[in-house]
Amino acid sequence: MIVDDSPTMRQMVNFTLLEAGYHVIEAQDGLDALTKGSAQKIDLFISDLNMPNLDGIQLIRRLRATPQYEFTPMVLLTTESQKEKKMEGKAAGATGWIVKPFQVEQLLAVVKKVCP
Amino acid sequence: MDIAALQLKLRDSFRLEAADLLAELDSSMLELESRPQDAALLNRVFRAIHTIKGSGATAGFKEMAAFAHHVEELFDEARMERLTITPVMIDLTLQAKDLLGQLLETDQPATLAPVCHEVVEALARFLPKTTQTAACSQAGDDVAGPQRHHVFFKPHAQVFFSGTDPVSLVDELRALGEATVTARTEGIPPLASLNPKHCYLAWDVALVSVHPVAKIKEVFLFVEDESEIRIEREFEAPATEDADNGPLASFLNIAAQSLQAVEGFLARLRGATEPDAVCCRNYLRILKTFQAAANQQGQPESAALLGEDILLLEVAVSSKVRISDQIHEDLAAGHRKLEALIQSLRRDSRLGAGPPPAAPAIPAAIVADAAVPTSAAPPKEAPRARATIRVDQEKLDRLMRSAGELLVARNAFPLLAKRLTVEHGLSGVGKEVKDAGDHISHIAEDLQAAVLSIRMTPIRTVFQRFPRMVRDICRVQAKEAELLLEGEDTELDKTVVEQIADPLVHLVRNAVDHGIESPEARTRAGKPRSGKVTLKAYNKATNVIIEIHDDGGGMDPARLRRKAVEKGLITPEAAAAMDDRVALELIFLPGLTTAEKLTDISGRGVGMDVVRSNIRQLHGTTTLESQLGRGSKITITLPASLMVSKGVLVQANGEDYVFPIESVVQTVRLPRDRIHRHERTDFATLRNEVFPVLRLADHFSSQPRTGEIVWAEEVPLAIVETNRGNIGVAVDSFLGQVEVIVKPMGRDFESITAFQGATILGDGRIALVINPAGLV
Repeated sequence: MIVDDSPTMRQMVNFTLLEAGYHVIEAQDGLDALTKGSAQKIDLFISDLNMPNLDGIQLIRRLRATPQYEFTPMVLLTTESQKEKKMEGKAAGATGWIVKPFQVEQLLAVVKKVCP
Repeated sequence: MDIAALQLKLRDSFRLEAADLLAELDSSMLELESRPQDAALLNRVFRAIHTIKGSGATAGFKEMAAFAHHVEELFDEARMERLTITPVMIDLTLQAKDLLGQLLETDQPATLAPVCHEVVEALARFLPKTTQTAACSQAGDDVAGPQRHHVFFKPHAQVFFSGTDPVSLVDELRALGEATVTARTEGIPPLASLNPKHCYLAWDVALVSVHPVAKIKEVFLFVEDESEIRIEREFEAPATEDADNGPLASFLNIAAQSLQAVEGFLARLRGATEPDAVCCRNYLRILKTFQAAANQQGQPESAALLGEDILLLEVAVSSKVRISDQIHEDLAAGHRKLEALIQSLRRDSRLGAGPPPAAPAIPAAIVADAAVPTSAAPPKEAPRARATIRVDQEKLDRLMRSAGELLVARNAFPLLAKRLTVEHGLSGVGKEVKDAGDHISHIAEDLQAAVLSIRMTPIRTVFQRFPRMVRDICRVQAKEAELLLEGEDTELDKTVVEQIADPLVHLVRNAVDHGIESPEARTRAGKPRSGKVTLKAYNKATNVIIEIHDDGGGMDPARLRRKAVEKGLITPEAAAAMDDRVALELIFLPGLTTAEKLTDISGRGVGMDVVRSNIRQLHGTTTLESQLGRGSKITITLPASLMVSKGVLVQANGEDYVFPIESVVQTVRLPRDRIHRHERTDFATLRNEVFPVLRLADHFSSQPRTGEIVWAEEVPLAIVETNRGNIGVAVDSFLGQVEVIVKPMGRDFESITAFQGATILGDGRIALVINPAGLV
């Protein structure tokens, strides 16, 4: 699942992963992700950091608290300037991060890494 | 943004990066020629090619990456000291570099495949058999240079709660090479106290891999903070784990590298006859890094010794003096003391005095630079010296326009202040408005100056292609020539730097091709076998001067006269009347080439005239001096910034116009009787020169002039140089010299060639800037 309030970003991730053979669900913010995530089992969350309603870190915290997603990989999309956010994300239970702007290959590499 | 656009963007940014890398490769190759076993240099070359290959593949330049792979291999072998780079290999690499450049630009890389294949074949001859087969199979297991590593990985007990599967990380290690994995189970508690959601396992992995440690470390990127991870290369002494030895070892590395670099600096500075600021600055930088490390490591003795040398050098740099023998002796003495000190430290640390493994503490480029024996090789820019960002030129232009508009907008304040004072009687407010306006005015000027400075680019980017070119020409023509570059840091407007490249290429080519004689001819003439071409840039007032000087055969005025007459460019009488200095100027006539035979390099008949007109377009001038048998010197004078230039402000028919100052030969007040009418044109005579005269007012008038011009008693005349000779332009009055920022008039007016653009005068009025070529 790609969680991002930017439709362009969602499309880009969706398109890239679709090409690589993954099925992608889009969510526009943390709350949307929680709702959609409870309806079906998600294998990997890729989430932006700053979003309305529920941000990426809160989303991960909430997901980790559910038995369903206790051990599911969750990757944060961060920017270079958000180093401390990276640590905060890790503390909340993020598996890893992708620094924006990223290249298609980087995205695929991380996805393959955390979700082999 | 869709994927296609994304990839397009990716490709664009890679092209920029690659262009830099290829240029770097070019100059490194030339340095390699004199120092084929310089380890730092070899590493630099390897890294450049490696980056081209890696980033190229990512950006979608598959063919290019595949091709670069073969070149990379050659230098990998070389830096592992398994082969020595020979001039033939350098030739091949330069050829490969050109191909890489082409692959970067072309849409059909397949068309270049045959040529690439040839180079690959040629390269393959130098590679050991094992490497070749490994390269073909791409197996990754048997590629030359696999290293044994020992990896220990103990994830945090809570690792599962970060969604990480440690086993998949171990699997990633397996993918990097041949791995023997042993699970360490000692941490597993008795079943009763075992939490199934916790991780108690650790792994020992013996890994034989060609990948660098960094790559192995990357596997653990997401877990490195909270997990216990050790990656060791097997040859490393286990002692490096010792808490004390670790930092000391790295300090000793820095020390060894610094000392080595200093050797190079000292060698370069020995017997220096001129100040060598670049070398001194790099020297200083190395010493300061060294000193910081010494302080950190608690080595006050070393730090103090370094402090003395730093002081010496700082004085030398700031007072811009050459390093005298005395200073050199002092520096060398300090260096020897340091060496002894480090040597004893090394003994104490029981690490042995063998060559230290590379530590990234000192940028390799600086170290390599230190060893440059002569000033012939261009000094490298220190990679850490400045932080830069790439900016789209479009954005810069927008910024420039806005800054320009701000300068216009500020003119409203004085007017507003005046109205408040005069019309509304609010002199207090009026003054405040005026003060505020002055303040904004200052800021606007600062802003403009800052924006202009952004556009300034060192001419280095152009200069650095020449050593290669000179070398190539010499090889082809069996000549010997040395190219000396000076003032590569001289800055010019970016546009100028871009556009001066072609003319300079032509001039440097000419200097070697036509100027420098064959070694035999030189010996006969009592000159050194090897010719010398100097390319020099420097600032002079608001101009930048570029000189191309060669100590070759010089130009023969007599031959130039003869050629010009033969080609019907001038009459024999005119030729006979010319003095030598004027005759030399004939070289700038279209269609005249002095080469006895056409060569591959230059002499296609388009030449100096194009050069001069290109330079004129940049508002520059070209002058030529030459002495038969002694050499030639071409001097180009360019405005440092295209944005601010000087002009002559004139008035005609109540309108303001500006002539670019470089086009105005002179301004005169010509008596009426010096103007004569012939056919339908007026001509003026001035000092035996006859030129056509036109009246600016008529030229831009919407009504066609009827009848003859009635000239005033005295005619204010600007004599203007155009591409078809001088003309006289009559104006109503001269208003003086002004500084102008020429703004293009926009797309709708592109077809109007009479004007270069418009400018805003100090008082806010607008004046059109005349393009002299558009007058005739």
